[in-house]
Amino acid sequence: MTIRIALWLVLALVWAAFPASGQQPGVTDKEILIGGSNSFSGPLAFTGEQITKFGVDLYFKVINDAGGIHGRTIRTIYYDDGYRPQDAVANTKKLVEQDKIFAVIIPQGSPPVVATLDYLEENKVPLLFPYQSSPVTRSKRYVFQGMTLSDRSSKMMIDYLAGPRKLKKFAALYQDDEYGKSFLTAFEKDLGRFNLKLVAAESVKRGVTDVSAQIAKLQAAKPEVTFLVLVPGPAAQALRERQKIGWTDTLMVSTGPLTDERYLALAGDAAEGVEGLSLWPDPLLSDLAGAKLYREHMQKHFPKNEPNRYSLAGYFAGMLFAEGAKRAGRNLTRESLVAALESIKGWETGILPPLTISADHETQKQGFWVRVEKGRFKPLTDWLKSE
Amino acid sequence: MRRAALALGLVALLAWPWASPRYFVFLASLSLVNAIVAIGLNLLSGYTNQLSFGHAGFLAVGAYTAALVTTRWPDVPVVVTLAAAALVTGLVGLCLGVPCLRLEGLYLAMATLAFGFVVVEAIMNLDWLTRGNDGLRVPAARLGGIALATDTARYYLTVAVAALLILAALNIARTRTGRALLAVRESEIAAQASGVHLAAYKTLAFVLSAFYTGVAGGLFALVVGFLSPDSFDVFLSVDFVAMIVVGGLGSVPGSVLGAAVITTLNDSLAGFQNYRPLIFGAILIASMLFMPGGIASALRKLLLAGAAGHPRTGPPAPKF
Repeated sequence: MTIRIALWLVLALVWAAFPASGQQPGVTDKEILIGGSNSFSGPLAFTGEQITKFGVDLYFKVINDAGGIHGRTIRTIYYDDGYRPQDAVANTKKLVEQDKIFAVIIPQGSPPVVATLDYLEENKVPLLFPYQSSPVTRSKRYVFQGMTLSDRSSKMMIDYLAGPRKLKKFAALYQDDEYGKSFLTAFEKDLGRFNLKLVAAESVKRGVTDVSAQIAKLQAAKPEVTFLVLVPGPAAQALRERQKIGWTDTLMVSTGPLTDERYLALAGDAAEGVEGLSLWPDPLLSDLAGAKLYREHMQKHFPKNEPNRYSLAGYFAGMLFAEGAKRAGRNLTRESLVAALESIKGWETGILPPLTISADHETQKQGFWVRVEKGRFKPLTDWLKSE
Repeated sequence: MRRAALALGLVALLAWPWASPRYFVFLASLSLVNAIVAIGLNLLSGYTNQLSFGHAGFLAVGAYTAALVTTRWPDVPVVVTLAAAALVTGLVGLCLGVPCLRLEGLYLAMATLAFGFVVVEAIMNLDWLTRGNDGLRVPAARLGGIALATDTARYYLTVAVAALLILAALNIARTRTGRALLAVRESEIAAQASGVHLAAYKTLAFVLSAFYTGVAGGLFALVVGFLSPDSFDVFLSVDFVAMIVVGGLGSVPGSVLGAAVITTLNDSLAGFQNYRPLIFGAILIASMLFMPGGIASALRKLLLAGAAGHPRTGPPAPKF
């Protein structure tokens, strides 16, 4: 008796392990299932929740209410990895092998994303719009990069500052890791094109909060421009330190922390006059048609959640996936999705300039210059290009 | 009875990849890796009553050692890699164990907690060796010319190593060393009066514990395939303590069960996103309230009640 039950159990398990062949994972007659591992706890929990539940899912609510894509509604699953790579690996395997998702959407942070990169590529699972800026994700068949990669940001920044602004003496305060160093290498290369060099570069270990020594050394080098390649906490610290010692004859230019106004609050009035590259239009004030729609949808579905650049990035990722799935037609497969995304040329989104996806599979290659005035970003230029 | 249970367990472990979906093979590997850590921690905390909140640090040392060996010398057999991980970690355990001899209870917990942070900082700062915050990809290890590139291959490696270490741990309790460690747990003064060299055995417990965790770290690197300092945060150390408390202090089967329960729980709660830490904490509190001696003692009570027809109380839970 016991043996018979055990046999049935084993059979059931084996059956569950091998689904009917030929069927595309995550796609049924009525539904498309996608998902991702993200930070819902840990250092980037706020960002993680905004890009997924209030971003990607916001757009999918709109699409599903309008009848879905070719008769299929979209459903999402997210698992928390708390920024731990091993949890991201476990979650991603679970999503692909157990939940049988069709594609991974907007996972966050370089370590968790890089930890799953080889696995996804081997299993030919599309990795859509990862929210990290290290160039390791460039030009992979099944990866479509989301956030502007660091070398492109650098090019736009240097071209603008050394070009129209005619600035010559540059220095950098950077985080001592992949994020910081990839910017530093790119700065040096891009400055080289103008026959310039960094006059000083000081590093900050991750998690350090006191940056006074570095700021003092940078001040001694008298740069016209000081890049801040940091995360919000230390960046705010650096700005306050500069205010404290009265170092005013340098232009502070920020890469990372300027992604959302919310983080400016950390530095208070020390952030006034900081400049930088913004990758997204102002989510609260922009007059662009797509940005207005985004605010309308947010007001309708999550009236208590204030619009911000993170949820806008997630919303855009949802939009881009939906466009790919629409173009792929009723016969949606991973291959047809890749082909459909590659076919996007000059597509109007109403949020970013017309979008063209080429062989490098990067979906965001531009930004515009902003300056912090009274706690908000004021645009100083039109979209800058990095091609 | 005991032998039959062991044999049955082994057969189940060997048949697992054929009977379960692929993801559960990976999850089982992870559970076994955690089980090895839990046994190692139990040797220190459950047997010798030395509480450690720094085992994520030992795991990191083992993992990075194994990863660096496989990266630099890809042809080295995996056995050598794991041995290297165990030896290096054991050595680190010795270096930590000696100064910690004078510390007890909360002070030892503080020292080990700090150790965990020091290891993470060291990994970040030795970036020429560890690639710092960027993380380290771990290539597939080799065994006799075959690359262990699939989840199943890595699972069998983990099973073999875990089986060996579990057997060893079961037997330690019955040796002179094991009895000495248990005596230290019950009463340090009484143990000393009976001729147990306190310093030597406490240090030994540290080294043994680190040795186990080092092997687990090596397997962790191979199973997960990517390491970064973010992998070894303080919450991982707390998870390990939770495993032995939930499983049963001083019990080898308890460590294995506790590791399986916590690993599965962590995994199945990932879908609750923001609520994960809350639910996890609630479950821990509940299991402390209703199973104060851990799963191992609850099971023992259940078995005894079934055999004798009336419940009996198990051994008292060890105190900190």
